[in-house]
Amino acid sequence: MTGVRESVAARRIVVCVGSGGVGKTTVAAAIALERAVAGARALVCTIDPARRLANALGLTSLGNVETPVPAHKFAEAGLAPRGQLFAMMLDVKRTWDDLVTRHAPDPARRERILRNRLYQQMSSALAGSQEYMAMEKLYELATDRDYDLIVLDTPPTAHALDFLDAPERILDFLGNDTARALLAPAIGAGRLGLRLAQLGGGYIAKTLGRFTGQATLADLGEFLQGFQGMYDGFKERAAAVRALLARRDVGFVLVSSPSPVSIDEALAFHERLHAESMPVAGLVVNRVTPDLWNAAGPLPTAEELDGPLAAAGVQDGRFARRLALTLAEHQALAVAERQALERLLTRVSVPRAVVPRLETDVHDLAGLASLADRL
Amino acid sequence: MIESLLGRRLVIVTGKGGVGKSTVSAALALLAARSGKRVLVCEVNAQERVAPLLGAPPSGSEIREAIPRVFTVDVTPHDAMRQYGLMVLRFKTIYDAVFENRLVRYFLRVIPGLAELVMLGKILWEAKSEERGAPRWDLVIVDAPATGHAVQLLRVPQTLLDTVPAGPLRSDATWMQELLVDPVRTALAIVTLPEEMPVNEAIELDAQVRGLLGIPRAALFVNAMPETRFTHDEEARLAALASAPQPLGPAALAGRLQAIRAEQAHRQLARIRAALDLPMAVLPLLPLAAWGPEAVERIAAAIAAAPPEAEP
Repeated sequence: MTGVRESVAARRIVVCVGSGGVGKTTVAAAIALERAVAGARALVCTIDPARRLANALGLTSLGNVETPVPAHKFAEAGLAPRGQLFAMMLDVKRTWDDLVTRHAPDPARRERILRNRLYQQMSSALAGSQEYMAMEKLYELATDRDYDLIVLDTPPTAHALDFLDAPERILDFLGNDTARALLAPAIGAGRLGLRLAQLGGGYIAKTLGRFTGQATLADLGEFLQGFQGMYDGFKERAAAVRALLARRDVGFVLVSSPSPVSIDEALAFHERLHAESMPVAGLVVNRVTPDLWNAAGPLPTAEELDGPLAAAGVQDGRFARRLALTLAEHQALAVAERQALERLLTRVSVPRAVVPRLETDVHDLAGLASLADRL
Repeated sequence: MIESLLGRRLVIVTGKGGVGKSTVSAALALLAARSGKRVLVCEVNAQERVAPLLGAPPSGSEIREAIPRVFTVDVTPHDAMRQYGLMVLRFKTIYDAVFENRLVRYFLRVIPGLAELVMLGKILWEAKSEERGAPRWDLVIVDAPATGHAVQLLRVPQTLLDTVPAGPLRSDATWMQELLVDPVRTALAIVTLPEEMPVNEAIELDAQVRGLLGIPRAALFVNAMPETRFTHDEEARLAALASAPQPLGPAALAGRLQAIRAEQAHRQLARIRAALDLPMAVLPLLPLAAWGPEAVERIAAAIAAAPPEAEP
């Protein structure tokens, strides 16, 4: 079976998905590095990298700017890339602002939205906002730039579905005509309550107002009003993003650890991507406890270690006992993980890589390169 | 530390995904129940873990007793909305007329933060409500979502106070915020692992809790700490022995990996100890394959054994 490395080699866009804490960012960076070394112009777009990894990639601050990884970082790692590696960190708020700026019909409208209280809450308060903007940025990078490969690291979603559904859910919120009509600041009618009463049946509108407060509805109305006319542009773009993700030169890479939570998440992602006919390019199982005992017999007792230890010049019964205990615990964990992973590996038949728990965190390009070798 | 924590009415447990928040929540509930308290553990729209950890079936959105004096519930937006709506509107017929209206359901779904508000509202209402002059629960424990989502959830009352003019939403937000920031009734506990990313996230979370949320912090749990089993000299020896044939080679390699992991964990433990001025309990890495009542017992024992004033 080919590895993940071969499977992603022909793709133009790679999206790494999985639950938090499984090493998605590191895998994304390793894939981009590998291709850059082989001669491509490759970009890795991350969400929230570990500080040392960010440093390794030459990233010092957020800001939606693609930065080339400096040559001396490659030299330090003993790598001579034939291509170029770029890295960037996604800035959610800035991406929203750019999107509004691009679609606003005139500066006055743009300012009205950017200054709206609800809009300012949106990037942090609206669930799925980060996911939506990651998709938006990916589209921009894929269409406006000339990278041979873009690798997107994705936010750790609470639910696998958020990621694919977020754009639609948010657009549904921004573009609902009925809601906009109902909440339109009452021009001429004087009060919002009146307007609601005219349009929506007074009883229901009044009760709803009791629930949220009339002023909240008015704020929301003003906010939605601001987006009027821009909605079609947004919608077209979101549809284009979805079409982009179904292309054959796109590949999703599922990243998981052996923990049950992340296995569940990877399975949910896989099912969903499959249902949407989106191409899954590979599965990376990260941080697996290596199986150290491939002999058929039982694990050694402390007494059985005494002899070989003595032969190596060590005579310490307590040391032997600690070693036997450590190996037994290690193997118990390795076996439990193998059993948990069985569920994932039998149901997801794509190119895969099982990466053992590394002795140190990956924090430089040399570490990324050796991770890439294992993919 | 444990007395101060369990003496509150509301304890919020949070941290990065996968660090053991549910296990710590279950262990705290167990300890509180053993001291005679009636405890409710709330999960927030999650795949339920607390009841199964205690050896009981999941309770769903109805409050159920998992073990004596420990009740669990999974708070979902839909049920919380219904209960909250009924509370505000008083009568079920009105609720049905209004809330079963499709257009209205749309509003409730799309107004930013409303789902979080009703879920948090339900939890905080459980924490403050009284029956016949006595608290309904001695202690409510929130097994909160992972960092980013938890901040989003816990920030909702303040966000509403910042954006919403006078009205029913605002008055609810007011009492909720008062309860959240009350150092007598409420405490927040952070759970982390002795690893780089979880420690970074715990430090950031702590800053957000202090700066953004203002919720009183009371404890830091560093979970899954490997024990120091080998000395430096032994570790050097293990490196040489790892290439020996079976059975010594694999045993030495396992020993070496354990030693490296313990050393890294201690570095991260020192980092977080220096960064956060919180009473800290270090919980052991358990060599258990399956997580259940036994793991919760052992974590509870470790929490109970943490020094009362573990200020660094």
